[in-house]
Amino acid sequence: MEYLSTDKILVIDLGTGDIEQDEIDEGLVQEKIGGIGMTTYLYEKYEKDEPIIIGTGLLSGTTYPSSASGQITAKSQVTGKLCHCPVIYKVGLEIKYSGFDYIVVKGKSDKPVYLWVHDGVADISDASGLWGKNVWESTDELRKFVGDDLLQTMIIGPAGEKGSNFAQVCFNHWSSPDRFGFGKVFGGKKLKGLAFRGMGMIEVAEPEDFVQRSLEILKDIKENSFLGNKGVGAMLGALKEDGMGDYLDPVTHRHSADYFTPYATNTALFLDEDPGLLPESKKDEPGILVSDIYALAAFKKLGLSVKDTGLALKACAKYGIDPFAVATLCGKTTLADITGSFDTIRGEVAIPGRGLFTSWCPVRPIFNDFGLSSEDETLAWWERRQAVAMIFGIQPMFALMCPEITENNLLELANLGTGLELSQDTLDAVVQHICG
Amino acid sequence: MGIKINALKCTNCMACEMVCSYHRDDGFAFLSACIVAYRAREKKDYFGVLLKEEEVLIVARPEGLEINKIGEEADPDKKADASAKPMLLREGCDLCEDMDDYGPMCIAFCPVDAITLD
Repeated sequence: MEYLSTDKILVIDLGTGDIEQDEIDEGLVQEKIGGIGMTTYLYEKYEKDEPIIIGTGLLSGTTYPSSASGQITAKSQVTGKLCHCPVIYKVGLEIKYSGFDYIVVKGKSDKPVYLWVHDGVADISDASGLWGKNVWESTDELRKFVGDDLLQTMIIGPAGEKGSNFAQVCFNHWSSPDRFGFGKVFGGKKLKGLAFRGMGMIEVAEPEDFVQRSLEILKDIKENSFLGNKGVGAMLGALKEDGMGDYLDPVTHRHSADYFTPYATNTALFLDEDPGLLPESKKDEPGILVSDIYALAAFKKLGLSVKDTGLALKACAKYGIDPFAVATLCGKTTLADITGSFDTIRGEVAIPGRGLFTSWCPVRPIFNDFGLSSEDETLAWWERRQAVAMIFGIQPMFALMCPEITENNLLELANLGTGLELSQDTLDAVVQHICG
Repeated sequence: MGIKINALKCTNCMACEMVCSYHRDDGFAFLSACIVAYRAREKKDYFGVLLKEEEVLIVARPEGLEINKIGEEADPDKKADASAKPMLLREGCDLCEDMDDYGPMCIAFCPVDAITLD
């Protein structure tokens, strides 16, 4: 596959230590498109090896607005279903530029390992020094070891090592959209995580037309008034979670965006630092970056102060446990009790619809009306929207906000980028196969 | 005429870095951008934008603009990040003079209008 692709699938067997690379057949892209279309195909191909498939969308890391997302596809040991977790922040981008469109991790290691993926090369590295360390310590140590602060990680903390049903695969230092207990799947393979860094280049079949159309789509998006908002508080406000803006204001530092995403979906809370501080804080860990709006709202509903909510979110991110599960299942109402309950949480977090996509994303539009009327119609729209976003690599929260992102222009750009002729019928078939 | 950066408006999305590199390389990469989203202080939520012009390196920090003349001795009190890109080896900003349909790409593609023409 010559365009919009590294042309490489990495296949790693943790049991034998074998590392192989496959090329990506153009015919397969014509049939499966990319993202979770391909990760689902690869899961089915290697199913007997209980694989974890990490991937990128066909448009990930391009000039298509919000082309930020990668994906983790695996069978959740909690739900028993094949599930797809979006890879957000700048981690999805780094997977592709580290030299691989897809990574198949099969088998199980005898000892703790991590995968170091960089510039088209991959190594299985000893993680015995990282095992037992929390998510923040692990990411910091990997960055220090490699000597690169821009190293991007997928990592588990103690929750994943201990096999908690609510263990998350975290990204860098932060909680993730993982509501499937994928941290437990990593831990069961003795896989502490993956580290990505790369300076690759992605070729484009029709670069001038691709970039021109990207700009036209961006201009259309910028005409939409919802971009006057920023951050998690405004998103919760749009979802009728009242009072969140006032709650967050005293600790809100800045809002930031995933790669090339016009809406800043992340908000940093400063917890032991002046949130109005503009120069670099002299404290090493002044706060927490929040992307999980429902975890935030759930801690607020427990009656926590905003500072304690931030500290609870920070503790969850370090431990590598789903903060929404903690907030809704712990049965505690004080910070000390909540953070002391991580190993004893029991229960279930509901996964909407067919159970394929994360409830980290609201099961309804945000800011804009997509012309939906009934609950059934909304759920069907949401599942298809999530599937399409994760086929092409679109930031899945932004996909729920932005009607200017259409299947039509995603296919148009995919065709300009690849030189293939992907049709609506192809997309329908891929979505049908994923969603059943 | 030059590029003006409002670091407080910036959301650190890296669009500027991507399209600047595209202007140089005709592909998607981050190899040769003369404008870079500074993001090495992730835990501190400290980010801004670096821009290399012909003779100066502009550091657009949240607290204000810093302009360093290239070739002058660096401030010994300021420690560079291990991951600092070799910005000084890259070509300086040419305002995308060959991109007739766009003007400077970083301005055209900034989703939050944090970059403008001065």
